[in-house]
Amino acid sequence: MTRGRRGGLARARIRRIRVWAAVALLAAACRPLGGEPPPGELRINLGTEPPSLDWALATDGTSFLLLEQLMRGLTRMGPDLRPQPALAERWEVSDDGLVWTFHLRRDVVWSDGVPLEAEQFVRGWRRLLSPQTAAEYAYFLYPVKNARAFNAGEIDDPSAVGVRARDRHTLEVELEAPLVYFPSLTTFMVTFPGRLDLVERYGVDWTEPEHFETLGAFVLEEWRHEYKIVLRANPKYYGPPPSLERVTGYMVDMDSTALVLFEQGLIDIVRLPALEIRRFRGRPEYRTLPLLRGYYYGFNTKLPPFDDVRVRRALAHAIDRREFPKVLQGGELPSGSWLPPGMPHHNAAIGLPFDPERARALLAEAGVDASTLPPVRIVYNTDQTHKLVAESVQAQWRENLGLAVELENREWKVFLKELVSRPPPIYRLGWGADFPDPDNFMNLFTSSSANNHTGWSDARYDRLVAEASRELDPARRQVLYDRAQRILCEEEVPIIPFFVTSLNLAVAPRVHGFEPNAMDIYFLDSVSVR
Amino acid sequence: MIRYTAARLLQAIPVLLVVATVTFALLRLLPGGPFDREKALPPVILANIEARYHLDEPVARQYARYLAGLVRGDFGPSYKYPGRDVADILRDSFPVSIQLGAAALVLAMLLGVGAGLAAGMRAGTLQDRAIIGLTLLGISVPSFVLGAALVLGVALRFGWPPAGLWESPAYALLPALTLAAFPTAYIAQLTRTSVIEVAGRDFVRTARAKGVSEARVRWVHVLRNALLAVVTYFGPLLAMLLTGSFVVEQIFAIPGMGRFFVTAVTNRDYPLVMGVTLVYAALIVLSNLAVDLVYGWLDPRIRLAGDES
Repeated sequence: MTRGRRGGLARARIRRIRVWAAVALLAAACRPLGGEPPPGELRINLGTEPPSLDWALATDGTSFLLLEQLMRGLTRMGPDLRPQPALAERWEVSDDGLVWTFHLRRDVVWSDGVPLEAEQFVRGWRRLLSPQTAAEYAYFLYPVKNARAFNAGEIDDPSAVGVRARDRHTLEVELEAPLVYFPSLTTFMVTFPGRLDLVERYGVDWTEPEHFETLGAFVLEEWRHEYKIVLRANPKYYGPPPSLERVTGYMVDMDSTALVLFEQGLIDIVRLPALEIRRFRGRPEYRTLPLLRGYYYGFNTKLPPFDDVRVRRALAHAIDRREFPKVLQGGELPSGSWLPPGMPHHNAAIGLPFDPERARALLAEAGVDASTLPPVRIVYNTDQTHKLVAESVQAQWRENLGLAVELENREWKVFLKELVSRPPPIYRLGWGADFPDPDNFMNLFTSSSANNHTGWSDARYDRLVAEASRELDPARRQVLYDRAQRILCEEEVPIIPFFVTSLNLAVAPRVHGFEPNAMDIYFLDSVSVR
Repeated sequence: MIRYTAARLLQAIPVLLVVATVTFALLRLLPGGPFDREKALPPVILANIEARYHLDEPVARQYARYLAGLVRGDFGPSYKYPGRDVADILRDSFPVSIQLGAAALVLAMLLGVGAGLAAGMRAGTLQDRAIIGLTLLGISVPSFVLGAALVLGVALRFGWPPAGLWESPAYALLPALTLAAFPTAYIAQLTRTSVIEVAGRDFVRTARAKGVSEARVRWVHVLRNALLAVVTYFGPLLAMLLTGSFVVEQIFAIPGMGRFFVTAVTNRDYPLVMGVTLVYAALIVLSNLAVDLVYGWLDPRIRLAGDES
């Protein structure tokens, strides 16, 4: 019995040793990470699946980032965010500002060898504007003559739209009204030339790697939906060949996961979660830059007491914008003007400053007694950042004005619906530039804008913004925008601009030539890896 | 058996129809639509889009159109991903969830039953109490905490295994562990309880009295009967693991189907919500059927309805 028992113990010990040996073997067999990264390959985090790489249907930042590498337009944003020649080597505008003529490069071919022709722009634009395409961003071409009418189905003849190929390499665009920033518009993906032959042959699958033909510095090699996209250098690219052989874009939704993958050496460029910024400050991997992305609070100016401009001004004066970067820790840049720093015609002197005394005086002047007023309601979409901002505003208005403030959060789509159907008394929203022209921001609060949820309209403001969009002289344009901004941010105050969001990236030391910019556009054709 | 299975499969059709109808109705009742955007669309554009997806038709007709599509096996287009059908999306993502779910399932069954036996066969000992303590932890720690803890405590500290992505089997290690933690603990508790319960039954005493070896009593008489409880749980567990867990797939950046349960609703991507809901419902129906079939095999006293006649 005792012998048997001892034998059992020995057997158990041997068994245990065997298990440990197996574990050790397994561990040794697994190749550790952080070995040599693939040469010539840059790995970035896209964050999300691009909803579509069909540039007529794409609307989001991820699609735009990829299409910037895959495609080119008539013009291309330079590092200074001014439009530079791309597929068009030069252009001119008629004296009345209505007709733009673009002269295309003659050496451009698509990745399947098909040469670029002006007609491809004409067909692409007609497709974008066709009601059947149902493109969300068709309105970007509304400045083109008859574009809106054709998109609305009011006219059926696509040839009535003001775009035509004068010859194989000359594109002529006729506008509804002069628009000085038209060459900025043509940097945007929806204006890229179209390959309707591919769309017709492959249907919705034309953007899959086996059919997708492009003419930018890279071509699409692999697309594992919801997981990763691989780009390969385009040997037929007309410009200087990119140094990178490959770009892999992963779709890691959570910034914190992406950061761990960065630290494991699996991804080269990631966005930093706000909580990690402090840890990265001072490290060579850290890059930060304010974006052309404004964060503001809007009033429903139809609802009392916010129908009184003095109340709106008082509330604006009662906000110390320096609080926001302290609360959010994301390198936010306080800004009282609506045009963000970095945008042409920005003017830092515009905006109502923090002045609690003036605020209280304005409130008294309006005959508002904060202590008897029912609580003011702020509505925001459910999100930690928006909650922190709202709590800061709540505290500041209570402290500086004695105002009671209620916070309400809503699920995103519920919030958006409410903004349109019955705008809350006070709401938060943001706006990111589609193209770096002030009109893209100033247009938002014109009477006809679908994005103006304030109920405020001002004929002077509308006129100034329209006039500025036609003004060729930068100095005169500055005067017009300054005047419009003063109406918006100081006199009428339907919105209170709070701050500009910053880009916070970690970039691996092996990456060279990567320069982030305020539009968050990646110029990967000039990036190299060690 | 075949008749029984066929009858059960036929019964699934009205179940799925009810699921489809209720989901369809609930989605239309949700405020906010698929094309409400931060950058609001001009009315002309909205009209074009609604016409394209037939959203301008009366809801009853949209419902009829959807059902007609379903009969043909067409789940419709995704609103969020223009150019991709819901069927494409499910075809891409479901296999990934199955791989992850299967890995977690194997882990949970092996570890859970093993731990449950180890505890139940030695009820009341220190070993038993230690295992119970661990299972309590497994049940009460949510997966986002466990996932983060594994990432920080293992992946970041040792540089291995990968904290995300889906390239090779090594990449499945942490997510499968995270996903398996809860069912492992639950299965361990189930197994332990029924082992203790079964071990006290008359037939076990009879077997011992007959002189059946202790090993045979334990591994044949006790284990087989104790597994019945685990098998009951196997059905919902299978469906839960195979459709993946939203949280685990999100934390580890795995391109599975689980994430669509949340993102499709947030995007108001009606056809995609319908698609994932129906797949999930079908999985539950099928796994319940599988469980009933396994029951009959494990316990001769259980007779399936079709067999009696």
